[in-house]
Amino acid sequence: MGLLMLEHLLPPLNDHNLPWMDTIHPIVVHFVIAMALISVLFDFIGVVTGRRALFEVSWWNLLFATSAIFVAIMFGQVEAGLANPYGDARNILNIHSTIGWSLAGVLSVLTGWRYVLRAKDPLSLPLAFLGADSLLAALVVVQVFLGDKLIWIYGLHTVKVVEAMRAGLV
Amino acid sequence: MQFFNVVLPSESPLNQIAAGLGPNDLPYSLPIHPNLVHLTIGLFVIAIAFDFAGAFYPLEKRIFRFLALPVTRPGLHDVGWYNLLACAVISFFTVTAGFYEMLTAVPLAGVKSTFGLESFVTMTWHGVGGVLILLVIVLMTIWRGYQRFVWRKDMGRQVQWPYLFAGVVMMGVLGLHGTLGAQLAAEFGVHITADQLLAAGADLKEALP
Repeated sequence: MGLLMLEHLLPPLNDHNLPWMDTIHPIVVHFVIAMALISVLFDFIGVVTGRRALFEVSWWNLLFATSAIFVAIMFGQVEAGLANPYGDARNILNIHSTIGWSLAGVLSVLTGWRYVLRAKDPLSLPLAFLGADSLLAALVVVQVFLGDKLIWIYGLHTVKVVEAMRAGLV
Repeated sequence: MQFFNVVLPSESPLNQIAAGLGPNDLPYSLPIHPNLVHLTIGLFVIAIAFDFAGAFYPLEKRIFRFLALPVTRPGLHDVGWYNLLACAVISFFTVTAGFYEMLTAVPLAGVKSTFGLESFVTMTWHGVGGVLILLVIVLMTIWRGYQRFVWRKDMGRQVQWPYLFAGVVMMGVLGLHGTLGAQLAAEFGVHITADQLLAAGADLKEALP
């Protein structure tokens, strides 16, 4: 009975092998990638040029990236579960998932740290935070690179690949 | 009454550079445009969202206090301004990369999108629409700058209501526009190695181990 309900939890799968029109994960990650990277960029510009108002802009972007990544992971997990990865895409998807969850941790810790720093003095930023910023930016870039491979090389959830998969060709 | 039919040469200009292209019809393995799109859309949407937060600040004050989250109204509007400024700068590169990658696009034959459109019409809307969206983003950035530095310099609410309305309309346009772009990839297989290999009759088990 419980299984029956689970079966009807999501609409039937379409030609993208998805219960919805198109992949949602790549849309939600706009708000993780853009907000995390711009937060790092504004921190560096703020330190280099002395425009300390930018630290506030960085903070809000960081907070938003952290909120968004959990939504991104939720859709990412559902869509990864329906992706039927093949060949090396299986490894890439595993690493992408691991880094994704790690990024949620890294972003949360950075946001907590930043909350404290901002509460103490919103107009200063210790050099150590720029170091953490660099790590964050590097992780995001690697994560985007891996996600890119899943769609642009392996075509997961594209109509053509799903068609081939259903025909047993991959 | 038809006098002339269009005469198309059999050779596509893409053949001139075919030797330098990979199976994804690009000289590199991953397209650049879709990555820059993350920045354009993310920055635009969050810029507008934070200007909304700044505009409705008197209503939210108590919520922020309840959360013990220190917040200033100019700080919220700063996000609205700087994110949009960054969006305007980056979007020139988004459109440039998009243009190049559209020129080398080879959509799968015989496909109709979920919208019922063929590849040429989809690419036309996405290409021409993209340039127009860039124009609107630049105009809105100038508009936003005038509000911030001239017209509403000394006011708590830094943005006019029509600006926020324009922002919401643009979010809808971006959503539709992005869907066309997503269809070019996921349905027409543009610049997707696996799709192009399958269309060429390759066996993915060997071609993409």
